[in-house]
Amino acid sequence: MDRRTFVKHALATTSLTALGAMSKTGPALAQSKPLTVAFFVKNLVNPNWKFAKIGAEKAAKELGGVILEHVAPTKPDNIEEQTRLVEDWLVKKPDGFVFVPVDFKALTPTMQKALDAKMPTTIYSNNMAELKGALTYVGSDDEVIGYEVSKFLFQKLGGKGKVLHIDGVPAAITAQERKKGFERALKEFSGIELLASQPGMYRRQPAVQVMENLVQRFPQIDAVVCANDDMAVGVVEALESAGRGGKTLVVGIDVIPDAVAMIKSGKLLASADYSLHDQAYLATTALVKHLRGEKVPSKLILPVKIATKDNIAFWEKSPDERPTPVWAQVVAAQKA
Amino acid sequence: MSATTTSPAAMRLPPWLSDRAFVIISRLLALIILVVVLSLISPHFLSWNNLINVFRQASVQFVMAAGLTLVVLAGGIDLSVGAVLGLAGCLAASLINGGDVALGVLVALSVGLGCGLVNGALVTLVRIPSFMATYGMLWIAQGLAVIFMKGDTVYGLTAGFRTIATGFFLGIPIPIWIGLALMLLLHGILHTTVLGRSIYAIGGNPAAARLSGMPVRFRLIAVYGLSGLLSGFAALVVIARINSADSSLGDELLLPAIAAVCLGGTSLFGGVGGIVGTAVGSVILAIILNGMNLLGVQTYWQSAMTGGIILLSVLADQIGGARLNRQS
Repeated sequence: MDRRTFVKHALATTSLTALGAMSKTGPALAQSKPLTVAFFVKNLVNPNWKFAKIGAEKAAKELGGVILEHVAPTKPDNIEEQTRLVEDWLVKKPDGFVFVPVDFKALTPTMQKALDAKMPTTIYSNNMAELKGALTYVGSDDEVIGYEVSKFLFQKLGGKGKVLHIDGVPAAITAQERKKGFERALKEFSGIELLASQPGMYRRQPAVQVMENLVQRFPQIDAVVCANDDMAVGVVEALESAGRGGKTLVVGIDVIPDAVAMIKSGKLLASADYSLHDQAYLATTALVKHLRGEKVPSKLILPVKIATKDNIAFWEKSPDERPTPVWAQVVAAQKA
Repeated sequence: MSATTTSPAAMRLPPWLSDRAFVIISRLLALIILVVVLSLISPHFLSWNNLINVFRQASVQFVMAAGLTLVVLAGGIDLSVGAVLGLAGCLAASLINGGDVALGVLVALSVGLGCGLVNGALVTLVRIPSFMATYGMLWIAQGLAVIFMKGDTVYGLTAGFRTIATGFFLGIPIPIWIGLALMLLLHGILHTTVLGRSIYAIGGNPAAARLSGMPVRFRLIAVYGLSGLLSGFAALVVIARINSADSSLGDELLLPAIAAVCLGGTSLFGGVGGIVGTAVGSVILAIILNGMNLLGVQTYWQSAMTGGIILLSVLADQIGGARLNRQS
């Protein structure tokens, strides 16, 4: 484990601040007139945004002649900070933005300014419906993800059982949409009873605590739908420490590495893939193609993938090795 | 310190009731009201399992708020407790995940202590107000955690280490024993040692403490160091509990810690309160969340309700007036 050796090294030199991560090398491409692309993420905390970065880097590398600038707020999902970042980057005038809003409504006015200033922009992951002038939106619909993973679970239960829903951050559009999808699936299965819907704030520790409390109230819980994997993993932990592991089916969304391990060992039933890796790859590709004079579709919607024990091998590959989507195929699939 | 105060409120109280005891009793009263109301409206609340559950959650919260209590008693504030916890937790989890349990524990404690001592030095030697010094430390610790983790999550700690959060001793979860032991230890330090009594003296009146010949700077550095050390210790309990760590580990832990301290009747102006109060405050916080989950309060209402209950609970204390009068 390189991080471990790193700590030991840091201890040996008694200098914890001399962090090796600072030595990150910037992309150096040998093309005559490289394009500079400002690539935005929501935070540096959730591994998914790291996958997004890897996807975008792959696109930049495959297309060649692209310098990718990674733009992230230091405070995770901070609206005010991302607003400043957009304004700062507008002044720096890169060739284009690949953008994801930390909040699709709050960032709309700022991004509209960028678009009015003719900044070529593709949006990924969270659609900004009121924004005028963006080139492309690349995303998976959060409502559909919530629906698909819930439907998968309800079918596994044979259409009958008592379930809990663990919500994300109440104010986050992704959390609201995922819950809507869950509720749509719930309507289709009359035998499924919703015991309670409680907040886990998209994070592990609150999810553990909420689940510990809910276990006290409900002697029988057949399944738990979690709005993301961080919470799903926490829910599994809480069930196990309450001595009720293995009796409750748990599903999440995102397919984070911890969830992959738990799906493999059978503790977690399934997770739906949000594939920020693919989204960021396609959004970066769309921008560069546009900048080089190609026409790109205004919307690319990706299908939801459900990771289970049977197909988990795909997600076990590190994101560096994961295959990138084929542009022409994704574009063709939109028409179907 | 509070025993020597002759505030109007203290005079109004019956002679057998010191204002320190009054603060504790008023907090306990708030707690009892919560317990009675909840056990009336939820049949699950008073079950043995649920009570154990509440106390386990409260113990973790208490460990996180204990160090802060000392700093607040000494008239300062430590805004870096959550972030230092996060940094220490990330470093420790990475080591423990690789099998180096002892080294991981040592690193968490020393990183906590180190950050705390730096805070103390900034406050006393460089004379930066504690609010700013520890706010700077908050950003530094959080930043180092982000740099170190690079967006990764460390997952899966050794079962032996996890016992400190998941194990049982005599049928009671180990975190509760840890919380109890820590409470008794810190209570002892606060009321029987020179350092403890200086904390109250410095918090009550720093100028008087200095004039009386007390080595105020040195004692304050020790207090901030102790707060950092306890954050490092809390990090161990937290990572053992959630079996993982990422760079956001310490986010959003600061305000609940401050709430636990205030709910426990410790004055943010320093000099009044105690560690037992913080333990009571932690239990109140845990019960609020537990109660909302048991009653199935809707997600959208929970934050607002938490705030409301906290304010109501502190209000009872203010009406009692002991603190209000002392501060004026």
